[in-house]
Amino acid sequence: MSVMTMYHLVAIFLLCLGIFGIVYRRTLVGIVLGIELMLNGAGLSIMASTQLTPAPNELGQVGALLVMGIAAAEATLLLAILLVVFKRFQSVDAEKLVTLHD
Amino acid sequence: MDNLTYENLAWAVLIGHFLIIGIGGLITVLAKSLIRALVGLIATLFGVAGLFFLMAAPFIGLMQLLIYVGAVSVLIFFAIMLTDAWSGGEESRQRPRRKLAFAVLGAVAPAIFLGTAALRTAPPSALVPKETGVSELGSFLMESYILPFEIISLLLTVAMAGAVVLGFERRNKK
Repeated sequence: MSVMTMYHLVAIFLLCLGIFGIVYRRTLVGIVLGIELMLNGAGLSIMASTQLTPAPNELGQVGALLVMGIAAAEATLLLAILLVVFKRFQSVDAEKLVTLHD
Repeated sequence: MDNLTYENLAWAVLIGHFLIIGIGGLITVLAKSLIRALVGLIATLFGVAGLFFLMAAPFIGLMQLLIYVGAVSVLIFFAIMLTDAWSGGEESRQRPRRKLAFAVLGAVAPAIFLGTAALRTAPPSALVPKETGVSELGSFLMESYILPFEIISLLLTVAMAGAVVLGFERRNKK
C-alpha cells in the first residue's frame, strides 16, 4: 500500500464519519460538525492526490485553499441560519423542525 | 542519525497523526455533549493540519490552523452557545436503535465503494513530496487560476452579506 492510498483511506474515513454524524446527530449543530468533517476529508484527499504524484503541486494546494474558503463561507451562513431557526422554533432539534402537521 | 532512523521517525509521526484524526473524529460523532464533540473536531483539524505539514505544504497547514481552528470552530462554538444546544439537551437523550442502524449503513456504503476503488486503482506515489514555495503558489493563483480566486472572494462576500441580512430580518419582524 502506497503512502497516497493511506492518505486516501484516512480521507474516506473522515467522509464516512461525517455521513454517520449527519444521520446520527439530533441537533443541527451536530450535523454541522459532520459537514466539517466531510469537508476536511475532501481537502486532505485533494492535497494527497497532487503532492504525492507527478501532478502539479500548486493545483492541490489551491484546491485545498478553495475548500477552506468554502467551509468558512458555509460556517458563517450556517450560524445565521441556526440563529433564525432557533428564534422561530425555540430549538435546534432536527426532528422538531416540522411545520406541515396538525 | 542515519537515514533509516529518520524514516522510522516519519512513519511514527504519520501513524500518530492518523490516530489523532481517528480518535478525534470518533469523539466528534459519538460524544454526548456538543462541547466535547467540538473539542474532538478541533483535534481532528489539528491532525489534518499535521498531515499537510507532513506532505511538505506548510503554508496550507498554517492556513488550516488559522481558518479552521481559529475561525470555523469559534463560529461553531458560538452556534452551540447561542442555541442552547449543549449537554442535557436533545443530544444526550437515547436514540432509537433504527437510527444507529441507518447511520452505520450510510457510513459503510461509501466506505466499501470508495475504499475498494482507492485500493485497486491507486497509481504509484512518491514517498517524499516536493515543497512548493508560497510565491509560486501566489503566481499560480494570480495567473492561471484567477477566476476561481475571484469567485471564492465573491462567495465569501455574498455569504457575509447573507448572514448579516438573516440576522437583521429577525429583528425587523418583531
